[in-house]
Amino acid sequence: MPKDDHYVIIGNGPAGNCAADTLRKEDPEAKITIISDEKPLYYYKHRVPLYAMGGCEPDDLAIRPYRGYGEKQIRLRLGQRVEKVVPPEKLLYLKHMEKVHYTKLILAVGASARRLPNHAAFAEHLQCLAGFDDAKRVREKLLASSRIVILGGDLISMGFAREARKAGKEVVFILYSSLFWPVSLKEEIRQSVTKRLTSLGVEVVSDAEPVTDVQPAEGGYTVTLPDNSELSADLVFSFFGSVPNIRFLVGSGINTEKGVLVDDLMRTNQEDVYACGDCAQIYNPEFKDYWISVGWGNAEAQGEITAMNLLGREKVIDYQPKEIFEMDGVTIRTSWWKSFS
Amino acid sequence: MRREIYRSQVGNDGTSGMLRIIKEIAFSEDPRDFGYMADNVPCQHACPAGTNIPGYIRCITQNRYGRSYELNRIYNILPATLGRICSRPCEAACRHGEDDLGESVNICQLKRAAADLKPAMHRIKEDLYAPSGKSVAVIGSGPAGIGAAHDLAVYGHNVTLYENMPEAGGMLRYGIPAFRLPRDVLDLEIGNVLRLGVTLETGVLVGHDILLKDLQNKYDAVITTVGCMEPNRLGVEGDELDGVISGLDYMVRTNLGQPVPTGKQVIVVGDGFTAMDCARTSLRLGAESVRINVRATEEYMPVDAHEVHEVKVEGARIYSLVTTHRIHGSNGKVEGIEFLRTRLEDTPDGNGRIAVPIENSAFIMEADTIISAIGQHPKMNLGQALTMNGQRIGVRPGRFLTSEDRLYAAGDCVTGATNVISALAAGRNVAHEVDELFAGRRRKSLVVRFEPAEQTDREREYDFIKPVPMPTLPVEERFEQADNEVENGYSDAEAKKESLRCYLCSLKYEIDVSRCIYCSMCIDVAPRDCIKMISSVAERPDGSYGEYGETGKWNEVVAIAIDNKRCIRCGQCYDVCPMNCITITKTELVEVDREE
Repeated sequence: MPKDDHYVIIGNGPAGNCAADTLRKEDPEAKITIISDEKPLYYYKHRVPLYAMGGCEPDDLAIRPYRGYGEKQIRLRLGQRVEKVVPPEKLLYLKHMEKVHYTKLILAVGASARRLPNHAAFAEHLQCLAGFDDAKRVREKLLASSRIVILGGDLISMGFAREARKAGKEVVFILYSSLFWPVSLKEEIRQSVTKRLTSLGVEVVSDAEPVTDVQPAEGGYTVTLPDNSELSADLVFSFFGSVPNIRFLVGSGINTEKGVLVDDLMRTNQEDVYACGDCAQIYNPEFKDYWISVGWGNAEAQGEITAMNLLGREKVIDYQPKEIFEMDGVTIRTSWWKSFS
Repeated sequence: MRREIYRSQVGNDGTSGMLRIIKEIAFSEDPRDFGYMADNVPCQHACPAGTNIPGYIRCITQNRYGRSYELNRIYNILPATLGRICSRPCEAACRHGEDDLGESVNICQLKRAAADLKPAMHRIKEDLYAPSGKSVAVIGSGPAGIGAAHDLAVYGHNVTLYENMPEAGGMLRYGIPAFRLPRDVLDLEIGNVLRLGVTLETGVLVGHDILLKDLQNKYDAVITTVGCMEPNRLGVEGDELDGVISGLDYMVRTNLGQPVPTGKQVIVVGDGFTAMDCARTSLRLGAESVRINVRATEEYMPVDAHEVHEVKVEGARIYSLVTTHRIHGSNGKVEGIEFLRTRLEDTPDGNGRIAVPIENSAFIMEADTIISAIGQHPKMNLGQALTMNGQRIGVRPGRFLTSEDRLYAAGDCVTGATNVISALAAGRNVAHEVDELFAGRRRKSLVVRFEPAEQTDREREYDFIKPVPMPTLPVEERFEQADNEVENGYSDAEAKKESLRCYLCSLKYEIDVSRCIYCSMCIDVAPRDCIKMISSVAERPDGSYGEYGETGKWNEVVAIAIDNKRCIRCGQCYDVCPMNCITITKTELVEVDREE
């Protein structure tokens, strides 16, 4: 590889950082840059509900300090949004009008909170907790609140409900069985989820999806259910999993569906552009469907293998056909891209 | 070099030129000026009908809704209709939607606002020509037929519209659901055409009830605008099963008020407006699960983001990267559909995508109703053979004349299924060609009109106004009655706010280089790289101007010029110029009578 190579990674999560570390290890000379629109340092995402609830401080979330990047000679550009990718010119356009040239690009942009289309009319009154910025925005209000309503849910919502109960909040969980993320809840699992939540002291409402309205009222919010009954809450949260942050790629020529479409070498359809982590979508021949892997472990593994492929050392991803995972005490059987050969 | 540019300021006829300063109203037919309009008023250029969009939006800002509606009608005779259902090619071209400039202006919704908010008893204007004594039969009263009938009537010819269905409107009435286009709106605007003296014969199938040959004998000219009324079939095993219906049939039968069996589990195949309309209609007819399946991905769907959003809000789900393999059923009735997953491959030009089936990727979705909305083609049952271009009616290159004398064709039956505004524009254009047959010359033509303007009409803060969302009915109210219109339309305040977002690209900013002192203050205040130091200007084969040759060296600079393709008409340069050497000219494409 020529020494003037510039590997650019968009995204400062586990996939991006793992990719950067692997690249540095394998190619000590190359210029490596991580660009992220988030301002905080690489942080533990699963601690976000704890932080939102006042259980820890921002410093407790950080995984690696700035000097860690300096030591590895990885340039970190935080709080800078990439607006456009132009693969034929190998250029990125940042929001502040700067152009960045790359020789190889890794998209590790992750995902943000999925919002339901039928909540669009009152979306502005719903809080999400997909990342640090969401938590920071809502933290003060959350600390002052005594009663919260959760619409959902997903993997994070169970932990969030638990933290909220620990903090002494009254919690009402309106369970959307058919829209539960990542798998809609069959009756058996629904009962299991309900039991688990109830044991935490959460009030579960399971026949009220979707709520028809959420409007501000007397310092809090009023949630209207399909039968026109109303619930009041200090804050209303929406937890429906996540969607890849790929809007900025529309029109770039990089193929996307729900995520960035990549082959089993993590390559997109555009030369020298790769994707990994929560934003990458791969065809799974066993399930005959395109899958997005979620979770920290997958992201790290994909970051590593993407870096290896980028350097020309072909590593084909493999998948684990069936996987049982624990979701805060509830067992769900599903499938993920998991391990790599 | 400097001299060359100065020479280019004055066109051959003395009326044109990139850097010429307009001091009084002027008209031009110079190709450079048409080229300028195409480049610099992108919305108008993208509109198949050539609607003067900045003009009608400006009228809304000025509270002149009636004038705005009439300005629309000059180009597009169905503003209230198109203001609801247009495919909006203008918005895709809008400069406000360029990178780093935010989002396009909601042009279509402003068109509707002009129609909704114009004064009651508003005056319709038509510039009628003297009666010609000539007669024309138009077969089909869809957008192309209505467009042709209107313009032919204005030209003074006697027009008879032959329509197979019980009422006029074609796809507008029978292809589009009433919750997107209320029928009273359509009736009113079609009525505005019929009242010009157009005779409407409904329930008449040409080729069956009356022969095309007889029409050709009876009328001085015949135009067929029969559209695309024959649905494409899936062509897979099981597509004849009970429960499989084409999207077009589904919509036509619903719009005729006929019962259409709709199951609980509906699968729609297709990615166009008809597919979306079918999905939304089936939800209103009791479907519990509606799944739209598309071969490629949402990015490549031909419908706009508004439509996709509304479909999802109402509860339908979109599945991409699938293609129909076969349809399963038993006892003659559909039970499910077998899809193959697809992967995207580049088209040869690299700009499009082809969805290619993946081997061994078959999977089944259960369904009791399958609606295939994968396009349509002309239904040729006129009773006599015409020269065809594949499944479409063949016409002479660049014209509307078919293989037969005095028989013309226009709209979707010539182009294949397109969109309403293209069909309407084609209808009007065929009318010009038929009129030329009678008059022996073109009686109307386009010119570019220039008028000096004294002010920018804009504030910089307007550039930061967020798009005003279209108010819509809550989902549960939409389903109370299937015909309840989903979009409520802008209020006066909302329309005005949205109208302020328009850059008014029809205003042309120019620097009078004879007075410019090259202080570069305009460059300093410009919000983007729209003012350039140039050394040359490219010229295109048609005579219009191309890109500026920029230079950073002062000894090469022959002018400081405003690149109107980059300019967002913010007026900052105009305000700051110490020499008042920046001028503003209002430009407009106008239709004028040709005396000879």
